[in-house]
Amino acid sequence: MTQNPHQLGRRHAAAHEIATDSAPVLDVKGIGKGYKLYDHPRKRLRALITGASLHRSHWALRNVSFQLYPGQCLGVVGNNGAGKSTLLKLLAGTLQPTEGSAQCRGRVTAILELGAGFHPDFSGRDNLRFAGGLIGLDADTINALEPEIIAFSELGNSIDRAVKTYSSGMVVRLAFALVTAVQPELLIVDEALAVGDQNFQKKCVERIEEFRRNGCTILFCSHSLYHVRQLCDVALWMELGQVRQFGNTEAVLASYEASLRQHTQTERHAPDLKGDYQSAPGDTPEASSGGPHSEIDGQHGHAIVAVVEARDTAGENGQSNQAGVPGAGAAVTSSHLVSVEVASLDQSAPPMLCSSDLVVTVRARTAHGDAAPSIGVMLEQSHGVGITSLASHVEGAAPRQLAAGLWEISLTFPDLPLHTGEYVVSAYLFDANGLVVCDEWKACTTFTFVYPTQTPGLVRLPHYWS
Amino acid sequence: MWQDLRAAWAMRAMLRVMVWRELAARHAGTAGGLVWVYAQPLLTVAAYYLVFDVVFAMRLGDAAPTKAVGTFLIVGMLPWQAFCEALGRGTSSLIDSGHLLQKNAIPPVLMVLRTVLSSAAVYMPLLALLALAYVPLHRGALALLSLPLLIVTQFALAFFLAYLLAIMAAALRDTVQIVTFALSVGVFLSPILFPVTLFPADWRWLLWLNPMTAWVLAYQDVLLQGQWPSWQSCVGIVVWLGTACAVLSPLLRRSRDELVDWL
Repeated sequence: MTQNPHQLGRRHAAAHEIATDSAPVLDVKGIGKGYKLYDHPRKRLRALITGASLHRSHWALRNVSFQLYPGQCLGVVGNNGAGKSTLLKLLAGTLQPTEGSAQCRGRVTAILELGAGFHPDFSGRDNLRFAGGLIGLDADTINALEPEIIAFSELGNSIDRAVKTYSSGMVVRLAFALVTAVQPELLIVDEALAVGDQNFQKKCVERIEEFRRNGCTILFCSHSLYHVRQLCDVALWMELGQVRQFGNTEAVLASYEASLRQHTQTERHAPDLKGDYQSAPGDTPEASSGGPHSEIDGQHGHAIVAVVEARDTAGENGQSNQAGVPGAGAAVTSSHLVSVEVASLDQSAPPMLCSSDLVVTVRARTAHGDAAPSIGVMLEQSHGVGITSLASHVEGAAPRQLAAGLWEISLTFPDLPLHTGEYVVSAYLFDANGLVVCDEWKACTTFTFVYPTQTPGLVRLPHYWS
Repeated sequence: MWQDLRAAWAMRAMLRVMVWRELAARHAGTAGGLVWVYAQPLLTVAAYYLVFDVVFAMRLGDAAPTKAVGTFLIVGMLPWQAFCEALGRGTSSLIDSGHLLQKNAIPPVLMVLRTVLSSAAVYMPLLALLALAYVPLHRGALALLSLPLLIVTQFALAFFLAYLLAIMAAALRDTVQIVTFALSVGVFLSPILFPVTLFPADWRWLLWLNPMTAWVLAYQDVLLQGQWPSWQSCVGIVVWLGTACAVLSPLLRRSRDELVDWL
C-alpha cells in the first residue's frame, strides 16, 4: 500500500506481460445458467418423478467465455440483473452451470456473502472451525491460523462469545479474516469493500492489495467504477446475461459509461430538476450544522426546497434517482467531507461564475493521527457528461492541515477553458492511497459559466494555427 | 449416487465437524447440553419398562416372542424411534440448510448425511447397549452377531429414503408434512406395539409396506429369542434397500443441476 499510482500503472502493464506466457488461472468456456420455471411446485415434483419436461426456461447467463491469467485483476461491471452475481456464484461453485464449464487452477476464495455459514448459538471460535471447513481448510490449518485470524478481525476476547451477541460488523470482520487467512490463486470479491467501518475497510483493501502484489488473480464485481479503474487491468461488461465487452479496463468502462449516459438521457424527463436534486447536501451530518457551501448560502435553502419537490415528483413517477445524495453510498462515521466551496459565484439560480478562474476549496475531517487524505474533484456538464476528474494523490498534492484532523485543499482551473453552459462539481474523499472512498458529495454545486463565443463546443483545447 | 458418496468421503473431516455441530446445536443453550440428546430416548425406554413390566406386569399371549410387554415394546420401539428421527429430520435437512448450500460450495448430500449420521450417533450406542443387555440371556448366541449388520443397514435405508424425500421436499414442500404424518401412523402398521400374530392373517401383507417391519421382526428374533433373523426379514431388508436405491438414482440425476435453486 505504499506504492504510488505510477507504480500501480506499471504493475498493470506487467500483469499483461505475464498473461501471454503462462496457463490461465481461470478458463471459462461458454458457461450458462438457465433456471427452469414451473407454474406450480406440483409440476416440479411431477417432472422430478416422471422425468417429463414441464418447465419454461429462463437464462440468467448464457455463453460467457473468458480467460484470466495469473496476477490479472478483472472488474465485472453491468447494470442490475445483468448476470454479474450469477457469474460470480458459478465461479465460486455455489451454483451449478447448466451448460459450459469454468476451470480453475488452485484455490478459489469467494468473498460473496460473509458470515453465511455461521451459527448464532456457537462462539466465534467454534464457528471459525466450522466455517473454515466449509471453505476447505482442515482442522490443523485452522488451529495454526487461528491467532492471526482473531488478531485481524479485532475481536479480542469476544471470540469466545456466541455469534448472536455480535454486531453485524463483527460478524463480517470475522468472516473476512477467515476467508482471507489463506492466499488463494483466485479471489472473487463482490462489493465486499463496503463492509465494516472505514478503518476495517482500509485493512480489507490492503489485504486484497497484498494478495495482488503476491500474484493472486482477482475477480472483482462492483458498481463503483472508480474502484474498478483503480484495481483492475481487464474489465468485463455484462448485459442481459451475456458478455457485452471484455478487454482493457479503460476501453470497456468508456463504452459502459457511454451506454449509461445514453440510457439516463433517454429516461430523463426533467433534467433541471435532477440538477437541483443532486445538489442536495441533505443527509450528511455537516449539512445541518451550516458548515458547507458557505459561498452559496443564498441558494442553499432554495436548493433544499427544490430537492423536496424533486423527490416527491420522483416518487410519483416511480423513478429512482441513482445519482443520489452526497455521502449516501459511503460511511460517514469517521472521515468525511466538511465543505465544498466554489469561489466567485453570484446570487442567481443556478449561480453564475463571475471569474475566469474556477477555484474549488474542499475541507475534510479525518480521525486524529491519520495521514493526509486524498481529495478528488469532478467537473461535469449538468446533464452528467464528465469533463474532468482530478485527485490530489494522483498528482502528488496533499491537503494542508488546518487543525488536528481538519484538512483543506483548493483546486484552481485558471482561465476556465469551457464554453457557456451549466456545470456541476462533485467532491470525493479518499484515504491517503486513494483506494477507500470515505465520503462522496456527488454534484454538490451547480453553476453556470458564460464564455462569449459564436462557435459551438464544450471546451477550449490548447491549440495554435499555422 | 457413487459420485455423491465419494464427495462425502473426501469431505469426511468436515462431515465429522458437521455431525458434532448438529448434535450440539439441538440443545445449545441448555444446562444439560449433549446429555439431553441421549436422555430423551433413554427415559422413554425406562418409562416403558417401569410402566408395563414393573408396575402393571402386563403379559403377552402365548404366540408372542416374549411375555413381557415392556421388553417387547422396547425392542421394537428403540429402532423405530431411531428410524423416525433420521427420516424425519433428514427429509427437511436440505430445506433447512438452504442458506448454507446457496452460499457455500458444498455438495448437498452432506446435509442429509449429517442429519442421518447424527441420529446414528445418538441411537447406535443405545442399540448397542440394548444388545449388551441381552448377551447374558442368550449366553452369547451367535445370532447376536447379526445385530451390527441390522443396525448399519437400518441407517443406510434411512439415509437413502431421507435423501429421496429431501429432494422431493425441495421440489414440493408438502412432502415434509406427508412424511411427518406417515411416520406417526407408521407405528401402527408394524409389529412394534403388537406381535405380528395379533394381526389378521389376511392383512399381514400390509405390514410390509412399512420399511421398518423387516428390521423390527429381525431385532425381535435376535434379541428376544436369540435366533437368526427369518428369511422373510432378510428378503424384506434387501428389497427395501434395493428399491430405495433404484428410485433415488434417477431423481438425483434429474435434480442435480437445480437442486440448490429449489431451496
